[in-house]
Formats: sequence, structure tokens, C-alpha cells
Amino acid sequence: MTKTNPGIEIEGTVVECLRNATFQVELASGHKVLAHISGKIRKNYIKILPFDRVLVEVSPYDLTRGRIIFRYRN
Amino acid sequence: MKSTLITRVADRQWHALEDDQVVGRGEAWPRHDGRLFLSIDTWQDAAFGRLADAMLADLPRPLYTIVDASDVDLRSRWERAGFTVRRREWLYRLPTDPQVTGLGSAQPPSGVTILPPGESEKDPLRALDRAIRDEVEASVGWQEMPAEVLPRLDDATVVDPTKYTIAMDVESGEYVGLLRIAPVPRQPRIGLVAVRSDRQRSGIARSLLAEVLGSLHRSGVRTATAEVGERNVAASELFDKIGAERVGANLEVVLHS
Repeated sequence: MTKTNPGIEIEGTVVECLRNATFQVELASGHKVLAHISGKIRKNYIKILPFDRVLVEVSPYDLTRGRIIFRYRN
Repeated sequence: MKSTLITRVADRQWHALEDDQVVGRGEAWPRHDGRLFLSIDTWQDAAFGRLADAMLADLPRPLYTIVDASDVDLRSRWERAGFTVRRREWLYRLPTDPQVTGLGSAQPPSGVTILPPGESEKDPLRALDRAIRDEVEASVGWQEMPAEVLPRLDDATVVDPTKYTIAMDVESGEYVGLLRIAPVPRQPRIGLVAVRSDRQRSGIARSLLAEVLGSLHRSGVRTATAEVGERNVAASELFDKIGAERVGANLEVVLHS
């Protein structure tokens, strides 16, 4: 049986790098979430900067929180 | 309360499941230096702990992971699993403007000239790269180098002259120092500044930086980035003196037993 992920994956743009290793990301829908980076991004030492296009997994428990799971090449 | 099931889905991958939904993922990956690093992504504290327990039960020691120094929550989670901080790596933002860096008048020492990217030859560059890597292995070791500076995988060292600025001894033609830069358009990153041990403390690293940062400034780039291990006092002093700013830090945490 296929295991699913309860998180919602949405594209967005990094608006601001905040303290505590979090980023404000504006989603394609216009909503903004506070996102931190995933272990995979950290593992690959990928730097996240303002204006980067990213894929965010929004928390199923708090729709204002997310996790950056991919950075698109601009 | 829902029960969380932990399953090992591949050699180095674990899932935390609730009602057939993946609520957490854990992964282990070996670095080139042989050390095993972990990552866990989950929205739930409890699932993090369960995943960590399962992974730690299956994996040999020592184990490592990287956390952003300002990510208090993630650091606490790993510390609860028994990890302790081993080293800190500063992230620097370097200005490129010679008026700010004070590097406008920096010249290489007598008998040394600077070769811009693309003007060095592969064979002497490869020889310098190997010599510097041997010196690292024989001194501080790769575990003290910035995380992105990888040890040599084999004898076939690959070097790309377009990414290196070189300090060359004019008389012998020998390459004695290098600066490697990743030309990321949005923010270039200095990956390595290294000078042969017998030529250090003579201003070569400073003249390499002057060449590279000056070139970036002339092309309209205002800042570059670099990482420096906390114990690398010489590199920290070099960056501090040119007005570089510490904008963050990564912590390497370890579990020994």
C-alpha cells in the first residue's frame, strides 16, 4: 500500500530570511508561511536566499508553517 | 492518541507512519570522509524521538548531523537524543568594495604573481591541490575543514582552472596558493583559500582575496559568502580584517556512544 504524506506541497518565493533559521515564503496562492529548511536541503548545503523559488511542504497541523524541501534553479 | 510505527524502508531510510501516512522521515548518508550524517524531518516531537531511537539503534557510532546554530528547536531535539556540539562553522558575508575591504592597494609579496581564473594550467594546479590536501590530512584533518570542502576521493584529482585564482612563484613557476570560487550569480561563494604551509603569513591569501573580490566588485557583485571553522583563527582574522560580517553559523553535533 502506498504511504502518503499529510503535508501539502506548494511552490513559493522566499521573501525574507529571518532569525532562527526560518524564512518567510510567499506561496503561489498569495499566502505567506514561516518555513525552515529540510534535512535534505541542509545535507546538501544548499543556501536559501531572498527571491529564490522553492517548493514548500506546508504543515498539516499549522497552515502558517512550512518546510522548504526543494530550491528551483532560477 | 494515534500510535506511531517506525519502519526502515531502505538501507539508510526510515519512515514514521500514522494511519498509513508518513509523518516523519529519517535518513543517514555517508560523507566522503567516511563519517555518517543523519537527518530527520517531521512535524511532531514524538515522531522525531521515535525515529531517532530507531535510527540510533540500527547505526554504528559515531554519528553526526548539522544544525543551524539559531535553530534552537532542532538542536534541542538532537541533544535529547544524546548528541553534543563538536564544532561550529561561521558563515561570513564578505564585502567586495575595495573601499570597504581595504584591499585596493594589496599586492602579492615580492616574487609572487596572481593568475586570474582560467589562466592557470591544469598540471601545476593539480599538483598544488594535492599538496594542500596532503597538508590538511597531515595537520588539522578533514573533520576540521568547512563541510563543503571535500577530501580527495582518489588520486585522480579533478581541477577546473576557470574556478581558481592562483598565486604563482615567478622564478620557479610553482603554484603556491589558490582561491576557489563558485560563481553562483545570486551570491558567489568562496569555497577554499589555501596557501602552501612554507609560504603562509606572507600576504598571499590577502592578495588572492584582493584579486577575486575586486573582480567581483567590478562586475557589479556586492557581496560573497564563505564558511570558516571556528578554530581556524587565521582565516577568521583574515576575513575580520576586510570587514566581513558573521551572518550565521552551523553546528556539527555528534553522538559517540
